[in-house]
Amino acid sequence: MTSGVDGADGADVPAPDDPATLRTDVELPGVPGLGGLYARGVAASARLAALSRLGRASDRLPGVAYVVRGVRADPDRLTAYQHLLGEPASDALPAGYVHVLAFPVATALMVRDDFPLPLAGMVHLANRVQQHRAPVLGEPLDVRAHAQDLRRHRSGAQVDLVTEVRSGGDVVWRGVSTYLAKGVRLPAGRSGAETPDAGSGGGRRGGRPEFVPPVPTGQWSLGADAGRRYAAVSGDRNPIHLSRVTARAMGFPRAIAHGMLTASRALADVGRARGDAFAWTVEFAKPVLLPARVTVRVAPDLAGGGYAYTGWDGRCGALHLHGTVVPR
Amino acid sequence: MTALPSTTAQSGLPTDPPTPDGPRRAVVVGGNRIPFARAGGPYVRSSNQDMLTAALDGLVARFGLAGEQIGEVAAGAVLKHSKDFNLTREAVLGSALASGTPAYDVQMACATGMETVVGLANKIRLGQIDSAVAGGVDSTSDAPIAVSDPLRRALLDLSRAKSTQARLAALARVRPGHLAPAAPTTAEPRTGLSMGEHQALTTAAWGITREAQDELAAASHHRLAAAYERGFFDDLMTPYRGLTRDANLRTDTSVEKLATLKPVFGKGLDTPATMTAGNSTPLSDGASTVLLASDAWAAERGLPVLASVVDAQAAAVDFLHGREGLLMAGAYAVPRLLARNGLTLQDFDLYEIHEAFAATVLSNLAAWDDERFCTERLGLDKPLGTIDRSRLNVVGSSVAAGHPFAATGGRIVATLAKLLAEKGPGSRGLVSVCAAGGQGVAMILEAA
Repeated sequence: MTSGVDGADGADVPAPDDPATLRTDVELPGVPGLGGLYARGVAASARLAALSRLGRASDRLPGVAYVVRGVRADPDRLTAYQHLLGEPASDALPAGYVHVLAFPVATALMVRDDFPLPLAGMVHLANRVQQHRAPVLGEPLDVRAHAQDLRRHRSGAQVDLVTEVRSGGDVVWRGVSTYLAKGVRLPAGRSGAETPDAGSGGGRRGGRPEFVPPVPTGQWSLGADAGRRYAAVSGDRNPIHLSRVTARAMGFPRAIAHGMLTASRALADVGRARGDAFAWTVEFAKPVLLPARVTVRVAPDLAGGGYAYTGWDGRCGALHLHGTVVPR
Repeated sequence: MTALPSTTAQSGLPTDPPTPDGPRRAVVVGGNRIPFARAGGPYVRSSNQDMLTAALDGLVARFGLAGEQIGEVAAGAVLKHSKDFNLTREAVLGSALASGTPAYDVQMACATGMETVVGLANKIRLGQIDSAVAGGVDSTSDAPIAVSDPLRRALLDLSRAKSTQARLAALARVRPGHLAPAAPTTAEPRTGLSMGEHQALTTAAWGITREAQDELAAASHHRLAAAYERGFFDDLMTPYRGLTRDANLRTDTSVEKLATLKPVFGKGLDTPATMTAGNSTPLSDGASTVLLASDAWAAERGLPVLASVVDAQAAAVDFLHGREGLLMAGAYAVPRLLARNGLTLQDFDLYEIHEAFAATVLSNLAAWDDERFCTERLGLDKPLGTIDRSRLNVVGSSVAAGHPFAATGGRIVATLAKLLAEKGPGSRGLVSVCAAGGQGVAMILEAA
């Protein structure tokens, strides 16, 4: 067990104001199974909900980072992922697949007893990935995940889960996932305050300009089983994605598409123009209720230098997601 | 072991090898197609192989080629069953051609027929073969349908099952959801948009009006009808399954009638939807063939020579990220072809631009007359300019005739070759055919 100080999180991230920027690395023997984590998460969520009702919600994040060493991609699962997302089936891991590999490590952190927000019902608001080079099949990867920047959101509390993937000591991939726990009240005066429209992808409802759909370049047809199919290649079997019945139990009228399914599909649509090193961002708006046809525009972003992508409901014009892929 | 017939041994040798000045000519002797049917029409039970064989046999009969060994036959289909891995060779074996005729399949979406002509004409010009049949066929009625993986696995287990119990067990695994078939669509694999939706984006970008599209569509029908009336297709077509004319042809259509149709593509855009079933090509079934040869091969047999295949050029565009329209590759192929041959867009007596949609033709024409497009995208000094519309698709095109994808190239090449022969020596024609995947093939023919 080692202790580590988090490195700079990049210019686009506000300086962490958590009480513990010094975190202890806790090494896990392997990547935990998401199924068990969700079961624990639901149980922990009930406990947290009770505490929240009692006004005893914690405002402190765990002072640990989880580390798993020697993570390797499975060839068959990689192929299935690449086929589903429309990525070339090369030995280079798509950036979305690296997220899939590392995601359980961050999730394990969120089901710890001392994690202050309930996993159940958590909403993925935004995701940012910096890829320095694409890891390849067979390459042993070290995954380190920690939580930071617990802050208020207009409809709850949000937190960033930071996952670093290293190879031979060098960071090759770094992802920041921003989640919202609706209805959770952090103590008043909590620093970080509300960041509804911060670049880190806070809530985007307040003050957001009216979305005007651009000229489309394509359309994604996502079947009723899109959530189950992505769950099969990603291992993310969150019940909100699997079926109408399980989604209803979580407050959604129908199963919703994984946010990372849509963001990864957009990344695949950008294609090889993204290069090997790039920044990939996404902000999620209205969830995609399955089955769905998502109208998309994936096109060069003349202002940003890379590609910008937008996905929306072609019938009602509601925004589902937007983001950028900028080669470095 | 019996000796091979002497014709087999002889026919592999070019009778008029390329001259030191360059390759010899490849000429179009003639063509034959079956009338194009609408999907679900009289060819509903006909397979690609059936239709290609019928078109091929009609060609063989017309030019007295029964028992002849042709240099090569190349054809293809866009919607192709996996069992048709040797579609063209199987059609040859089922035809009256000598079984020693080699054959191969080509697939370049809607430009398949064009590409078979290009490849075979080049082989003739190089002296590798003396004669060839180019062609294409497609059936949207008899299209391959893929089954779901669980159903496919169950069916494979069923075929391997030795006992009734095992067969029942395999069948019992099939769930209703597994029965949903995966039929081929005209959607682009990478964008998920149908060809019509892609063209609708281009139509909007070029501001092509509903009226202009309906005018072009009406002209296509009227010109095709007039060509039938004067017997133009009598030596280009063999009746099949009761059809003697293209089933989609509406002799009595008019701009007024076409104006009553509801738009079907581009309805989700913020510009008015203009593309209807009337100014788009219908899903069709049909086959076409073209007989190509060296001058000497045709002369030896006393066969006519309609036109020579002068040159051809393919192009492709990036339609994935809004940079260019899916069906605009012809607009890029044509200027390259013109430059190589020292010609301008106006140096042609006839033009054949495949009417995937009426708007496709109009978008191409608009682009060639647009200064910004021609300078920025084509890298030219000035616009290519306009063409004399009375020389364009003079006997109608795909909107009226229908468009069995791979068969369209053969239809156009044989039609244009005959039109040029009618016009007289030296007359020149330009072909442009767009294709899925952002591709296109252009070709120059010249009356022989």
